[in-house]
Amino acid sequence: MSLSVNHMSFSFGDVQVLKDISFEVSPGELMGVMGPNGSGKTTLLRCVTKFLPSEDGMVLVGSKPLNGLTPAEMAKTFAVVPQSSATDFPFTVHDIVMMGRIPHIGSRLSGESKKDIYVVHQAMERTNTVQFAKRIFSELSGGEKQRVIIARAIAQKPKVLLLDEPTAYLDISGQIEIMDLLKKLNREEGITTIAVLHDVNLAARYCDRIALLNQGRLEAIGTPKEVLNPETIQSVYGVDVSVRRDPLTQAIYIMPHSAATAIHKHGTRVHLLCGGGAGGIVMKSLHDGGYSVTAGVLNVLDSDYENAKDMHIQVVAEAPFAPISPENHAENLKLIDESIAVVVSPFPVGPGNLRNLEAATYALKSGKKVILLRPQEGQSVDFVDGRADALVKGLIISGATVVGDVEELLSQLATRRG
Amino acid sequence: MASKSGSAFDWKVWMVIAIVASSVVGFSAGYVLGGVQKKVTLSIVDDYGRTVELHGIPQRIVSVAPSPTEILFAVGAGSQVVGVDNYSDYPAEARSLPQIGSYTLNMEVIMSLKPDLIVSSDLVPRAQLDQLEAQGVPYFIFATRTMEDVIKDLRLAGSLTGHSLEAESLVAGLQARINAVTNKTLAAGVEKVRTYIEYYPLWTYGPGSFGNDMIRLAGGANIASNASNEYPELTPEFIIAQNPQIIVYTVGPMTTTTASDFADRSGWSITFAVSHDKIYSIDDNLVSRYGPRVVDGLEQLAEIIHPELFT
Amino acid sequence: MVVLIGTEKPKEEGHSPTDVRSKRLLIICALGALLVLTAFVAILVGTLGPIGPGIPEKISFSEAVNAIFTDSEYHWVFWNVRIPRVLLAGLVGAALACSGTAMQAIFRNSMADPFVIGVSSGAAVGAAIAGLLGLAAIIGVFAPPMFAFVGAVIAAFSVYMLGSVRGKIYVDSLLLSGVAVAAFLGAMVSFLIYFARQQYHQLIFWLLGSLTLASWDVVQILVFPIVAGAVVIFLYGRDLDALLLGEETAHNLGANPEFLKKLMLFVSALMAAAAVAFTGIIGFVGLIIPHISRLIVGSSHRTLVPAATLSGAIFLILADTLARTAVAPTELPVGIITALCGGPFFLYLLRRNSTGRDR
Repeated sequence: MSLSVNHMSFSFGDVQVLKDISFEVSPGELMGVMGPNGSGKTTLLRCVTKFLPSEDGMVLVGSKPLNGLTPAEMAKTFAVVPQSSATDFPFTVHDIVMMGRIPHIGSRLSGESKKDIYVVHQAMERTNTVQFAKRIFSELSGGEKQRVIIARAIAQKPKVLLLDEPTAYLDISGQIEIMDLLKKLNREEGITTIAVLHDVNLAARYCDRIALLNQGRLEAIGTPKEVLNPETIQSVYGVDVSVRRDPLTQAIYIMPHSAATAIHKHGTRVHLLCGGGAGGIVMKSLHDGGYSVTAGVLNVLDSDYENAKDMHIQVVAEAPFAPISPENHAENLKLIDESIAVVVSPFPVGPGNLRNLEAATYALKSGKKVILLRPQEGQSVDFVDGRADALVKGLIISGATVVGDVEELLSQLATRRG
Repeated sequence: MASKSGSAFDWKVWMVIAIVASSVVGFSAGYVLGGVQKKVTLSIVDDYGRTVELHGIPQRIVSVAPSPTEILFAVGAGSQVVGVDNYSDYPAEARSLPQIGSYTLNMEVIMSLKPDLIVSSDLVPRAQLDQLEAQGVPYFIFATRTMEDVIKDLRLAGSLTGHSLEAESLVAGLQARINAVTNKTLAAGVEKVRTYIEYYPLWTYGPGSFGNDMIRLAGGANIASNASNEYPELTPEFIIAQNPQIIVYTVGPMTTTTASDFADRSGWSITFAVSHDKIYSIDDNLVSRYGPRVVDGLEQLAEIIHPELFT
Repeated sequence: MVVLIGTEKPKEEGHSPTDVRSKRLLIICALGALLVLTAFVAILVGTLGPIGPGIPEKISFSEAVNAIFTDSEYHWVFWNVRIPRVLLAGLVGAALACSGTAMQAIFRNSMADPFVIGVSSGAAVGAAIAGLLGLAAIIGVFAPPMFAFVGAVIAAFSVYMLGSVRGKIYVDSLLLSGVAVAAFLGAMVSFLIYFARQQYHQLIFWLLGSLTLASWDVVQILVFPIVAGAVVIFLYGRDLDALLLGEETAHNLGANPEFLKKLMLFVSALMAAAAVAFTGIIGFVGLIIPHISRLIVGSSHRTLVPAATLSGAIFLILADTLARTAVAPTELPVGIITALCGGPFFLYLLRRNSTGRDR
């Protein structure tokens, strides 16, 4: 069933929590609702289920409005899975799931029918909770409890499934467990699902679309790729992030940078010879240290290339799988000429990028300070039959400094800077 | 209630109605037993102004308080008493009768004694007496506040039980003894001795109580005669300020007070009674069992308060 | 809508809950049978006998049976004293336990009891006033219970008003206002007792709780409100289950939390007030019985409510039997028996439960 929210607003007293929100959820879609704390996500759910009386706004389920539905009919339309369900009372798991049938057992005079018991059993099978049937609900783990609540929601046979931060109190295995289950149910049963999620990466990984709220307004709605870009996230959450693609799931994942501290830029130029991913941390440290950084030559598929792009660092780029061309090498040397120091992070050296080490040699000969970062234990960087090691040895003999980590690197550069 | 169309609704609703209805009917079934109506032959008004109607002289009387027990035995109706309360210990014959509880009455024992009359003092919870009345047993309350009430109660008891002659002669004798005392104690010119009487530390008989009346008749002036209620608890300051000339304490089975205690109470030694060692005791029963024994009490009290009149 | 994958019957794994309904029926029938048995035994126990001290004389079993069914010597005692008393004990025990179950669900707190909304203190004030003014003599023998009932209802209503804002009940406020009202009314009762020395015994007698005023009149008056009230609470059992998981969950499952709270408070207060009006304050039954029942039959109210109600009846019949024979002919206030029996048993059950939970 589709769900459409039209011009929904809500205020707690003077404070307007929801401002004219409208969106549509397609039948069978898994929609994530996100936003910073206080943006109105939970309030939105509560207005949809009519637990809170929204001022205006119509909600349509399958093109039919919700006005005039009895509480029982509402309960057959929406099933809600809250963040946590706590009770001291000794309900068994079966009791809890059976509560999902309350709107379906029409008369107060009747008990559970065979159909109710069957539906409950099915729901528990789907959520792999049948073995808990006779156990006391409050004794289960967080993830197990949430599965039981999801079973209850399924037993309710709703048209739309609503979840309010279902993974909030779960550890990482619990989170994956629940989200996998939701995805499976969504795909197999085709229940329209709306989940308020606080974890950006879970949302990106599991949701078909994401609705992003900010201060009660719908800021953006679309696929994770569309909504979760660094600009939008910066404007809504105030955090700088890098966006990558998870190599295994192809889903987007977000990497937040740490909160920006005041950088005293002095613009001293440093050129970084790197590759294979080890350069990222050096780039960041240098950047945070106020240096103006350039890098090269990097293959466009190299992760250090992406790191550089994130930090808006000028890079000499090479085509995929190609060795460093003479033009790129020359540009590399030109950047070295414009720098005061050259830093070499331990990158894997193959025939294609051996020239980067040659560039380091050039830098030293030109009188630039060259600082080498020692590779990690066991990390092999020479894939050219010892020629790289030889070049490195040569650099050290000729006066290049070797440091163990980025702190040492920064202090070395500082003394040089004077 | 949510309703559902279809036959399932109907039979379940009827089942519920049937359960409720059958409970009501079943529980009320026993009520069908009614009482038997008998002719009224005797009608007496008790101390609460209630008209009590009897069917003949009561032969199976249950007394639920010790004072009525003493009164009944005193007028010679002891053989008509079939049950007494736990505290009825006088006269000795009363102790061998079946006991029916005290304050909280045991309805079952009372009813199985098949009483035709209950006699009570006014301290017993009325609710239980009313219930016995609903079961068909009338009750008669003796509410005694003064010595005159005792005389009246003895006469009433006599009429109630068919022992009027005995009651009259008993009353005549008691009245003579009372007069013998009051002629002396209430004569003109006899000083009213300030008396403090204590039945429990600091607790005394106030205005409207029997003890208060007894002190008056014995020629004393009860220092608590203007207190707030019948059985007040006084403050030590008040008692000391009143400076009683005589202190009397009652002795019962639960009493631990002794004469020397009063001197130990701080500040009391400046009172006349303590400084002159005018501290006396009296048997509690003689002032609280409202039967003939109170006349003994009066005589003793008068001798304590006015020894000079009774040598 | 959900598409059923396959249509096999649910597997009987030993965890299969298809026996929920039969388990419920079994429990109710067993308790019902136990109640009838207990009532029969209680009718045979008393000061008169056949089981008991035999005051004023001991009678035999055959004489007792004779007395019940024929117009023999003690017929009157059995029909007008003992049987109404056993019935009253059953009714009041059922009322208190059922009301307590509902209160524990509404307050989501297994320490709640039927008196938490001020019913007992209100009834005490009503009874005290009636006693002091001697209204029984003026209006009739049912004046004190009437006043007690009215006092209880007024107190409960005040608690409700104090604990709700614009018609919406806040359960935490309700609990606190119940405490406040009970404290205030308790002070009033103490004050009245202190200044009415004459009626001291009357008031204490009522306060300690006793079934000594049992009669067919009382049974007739109480049977309808108590049975009807218990039925209503049973019918809303599923809703109470939902309410226990939180008001939002209850709303989302189709139970109407506001209406439910009001209805349950109304019915429970009425049942408790009716019981208390005639018997005084009998404590522990409304607290312990639902709790113990829950530990044994679980928290699903469609099973719990009838189980607790029947258990409450059985318990009070037994307690009252002890109260009227232990130190015969003196009667103990049954409230003392319920406290003495209930407390330790509850501790035992709790210990057994917590040691069982150690894994």
